[in-house]
Amino acid sequence: MPGQRHLVPRQATSGRLVHVPGAALLMVLAMLLTACSASGGSDTVEGGPVRITFWSALRGSQEMVDEYNRTHTKIQVDFEQVPSGDQGGWAKLSNAARAGNAPDVATLEYPQLPGFAIDGVPRDITDLLPDSVRAKILPQAMDLTTFEGRTYAVPVDIEPMVFLYRKDLFTKHGIPVPKTWAEFESSARKLKEAEPASRIASLFTTGGTLAMAGLVWQAGGKWYDTSDETWRISMDDAPTRKVATYWQRLLDDDLVRVEPASSQQWRAHLRSGETAGWLAGAWAAGSMMASTPSGKGKWAIAPFPQWDPSKPSLGTQGGSTFMVTKDSKHPKEAMEFISWLVTSPDALRAKLASGISSAYPAVPDLVPVARKEMDTSYYSGQDIFGLFHKEAELIDPEWKWGPRMVSTISSGDDGLARAGAGSGTILDALREAQQKTLPDLKSLGLSVTTR
Amino acid sequence: MSSDTRTATPPPPTDPTRTRRAGRRQQTLACVTLLAPFTALLVAVFLVPVGYAIGLSLFSEDHDGLGFGGGETVFTGLRSYLAVLSDPSFLSGFGAIALYCVIFVPTVVIGALALALLLDSGLIRLRRTAQMLLYLPHAVPGIIAAVIWLYLYTPGLSPVIKLFAEADVTIDFLGLHTVLPSIVNIALWSGLGYNMVIFYAALQALPREVLEAARIDGAGGVRTALLVKVPIIRGSVVMVGMFSLIGALQLFTEPMLMNQATPMVNSRFTLNMYIYDAAFRRNNYGLASAASVILLVVTCALSFAVTRWAGRRERSAK
Repeated sequence: MPGQRHLVPRQATSGRLVHVPGAALLMVLAMLLTACSASGGSDTVEGGPVRITFWSALRGSQEMVDEYNRTHTKIQVDFEQVPSGDQGGWAKLSNAARAGNAPDVATLEYPQLPGFAIDGVPRDITDLLPDSVRAKILPQAMDLTTFEGRTYAVPVDIEPMVFLYRKDLFTKHGIPVPKTWAEFESSARKLKEAEPASRIASLFTTGGTLAMAGLVWQAGGKWYDTSDETWRISMDDAPTRKVATYWQRLLDDDLVRVEPASSQQWRAHLRSGETAGWLAGAWAAGSMMASTPSGKGKWAIAPFPQWDPSKPSLGTQGGSTFMVTKDSKHPKEAMEFISWLVTSPDALRAKLASGISSAYPAVPDLVPVARKEMDTSYYSGQDIFGLFHKEAELIDPEWKWGPRMVSTISSGDDGLARAGAGSGTILDALREAQQKTLPDLKSLGLSVTTR
Repeated sequence: MSSDTRTATPPPPTDPTRTRRAGRRQQTLACVTLLAPFTALLVAVFLVPVGYAIGLSLFSEDHDGLGFGGGETVFTGLRSYLAVLSDPSFLSGFGAIALYCVIFVPTVVIGALALALLLDSGLIRLRRTAQMLLYLPHAVPGIIAAVIWLYLYTPGLSPVIKLFAEADVTIDFLGLHTVLPSIVNIALWSGLGYNMVIFYAALQALPREVLEAARIDGAGGVRTALLVKVPIIRGSVVMVGMFSLIGALQLFTEPMLMNQATPMVNSRFTLNMYIYDAAFRRNNYGLASAASVILLVVTCALSFAVTRWAGRRERSAK
């Protein structure tokens, strides 16, 4: 899911360079230069710019760094493209931090931040982060990177969940676009009746735990609660049970398609209309445009269904943050670079120039920039950023991610796959994920209780 | 088995005490020289890592409260061990490995033995060709074999599944109950030929007069095989059984690859996968080390038990 938008057309870039002798020569020179500075043992040349290193798997990072280096003289950034987290990026980063050669700046996704913070990889940037930057960021996003009053990373995008659906199919059969979860279920039944091969959405196996987390988040659940200076874990609290029971019914009545997110199989179903909806973070809009070009004019985006429309609430799915590492020798410069990445319209424009992205900026002031750059003819000219803006306001600020989400997510996904195959239930999968996470937390010496 | 190789006659003594002392010194020197490479390797690739793992399992990162801001490495005693043993996924890994051993070890030992006896009996023509064909899968690296099998197991790709589907048989090699037998199958292909060669070599060394005696006493081919040949090569059988058991306990490559293809093989499916997951995905080296030490102890205990049991059987047989 989020991994999908991290795919970078690296080969295309290097392939282009090979055909231009001048550029190739420059690259060799650049390599020689970096080799020299590395062997010099110091990354600051007397009187020259401060060099900082930056690791990211986000698409458009190279373009943003190029833009930064072009427009700044005091700080120069060396960028390294790393694999996305679940493809080894997390392991690479934590191993580098263990070995003492972590970069100055790195990208983390929200769920992974607490784990890295506990391992002491990101620096406590509470006092480093300028108030002017802090004030610009959506408070709910800031809450997700702040623990016990200390801030460990700066959000770059936050992804309110929305409902992408095949407008043509819904209109053709007179199926209402659901505003509530009750309506979602009745629309699901109507769609299946009208188009027996089609289902309203997917219950994801791989990637399903994170999607489920967004749904529970909206319902007011709290898998992890840190208010008592202890990790209170409860992946089967009342809101979770409500969500799990609801989805279990959709599953049992064969109203949703069971498939791994980001899989070939799922994308094929999106193209054919056999899967006629997608519940995901705002970034999904851009991902859909890139991966399903044939859907142009057929898809539309609706606000996320609500449990109680009079008290609307929302969870997120996806989104990234930037952190300064504890080992960084230039934390101030690193922070300056991050502030630019997160708040500068130039940074956002450079990123958007590299490819379609509908990621919702954590700095609402940037929304007009994103809106202007996005061609929404795919969604028949719908003002999708206007929708995201309204939805982002609804994000429930209470949610916290846990200390070992990689483990929780993979255990949960395994259980969801079994539930999808008819062995066990969705709630069993979440309970099992909790059971399989506890030993990790205990062996780290954390204070843990279950409710 | 045979002791006649060791009773070479020593040269005639000239001065008994001097030669004995010189001989002893020479013997010590020979011992040291011959044992040194082994000892060096044992220390470097076994004892030191084991010691390091034990250290990592006892001293690990410790945190207060929510744990933010990093912890410090302190002596945590048996905490990691308790965490491992209370982890349902570690215990289910044990379960999966136990089931795998129960299916794999007898199958590979009996299968290889049967093939070796067939080859030895001369029933199979083109003995050398058959031997080579059976041994060939062992020459394929495990990971490559797993990739090939994964191709044959994956619905939509596999010609095997397609063939069955044409006969109206739905077959799911990666289902909840079929996935373990599917892994056993991959391991069998490489294990059978290799172990067969060991058995076949042992059978070739059998004293021909014993077999002749059996034949004169009127024993048929099957009877000779089961009651004469197998008991005589029992040493090899125990050895192959034990090596297969130790190998089975360390099952990693095949399920690790299948983890990418089916959710029925989770990332902590076997004990070694649990250790890998704990260290490199959960970043929890204390937990990984404790699990490794537990696996080592279990492996040693099982090997010891098998050796003792086989030894007792041998003694009581005599």
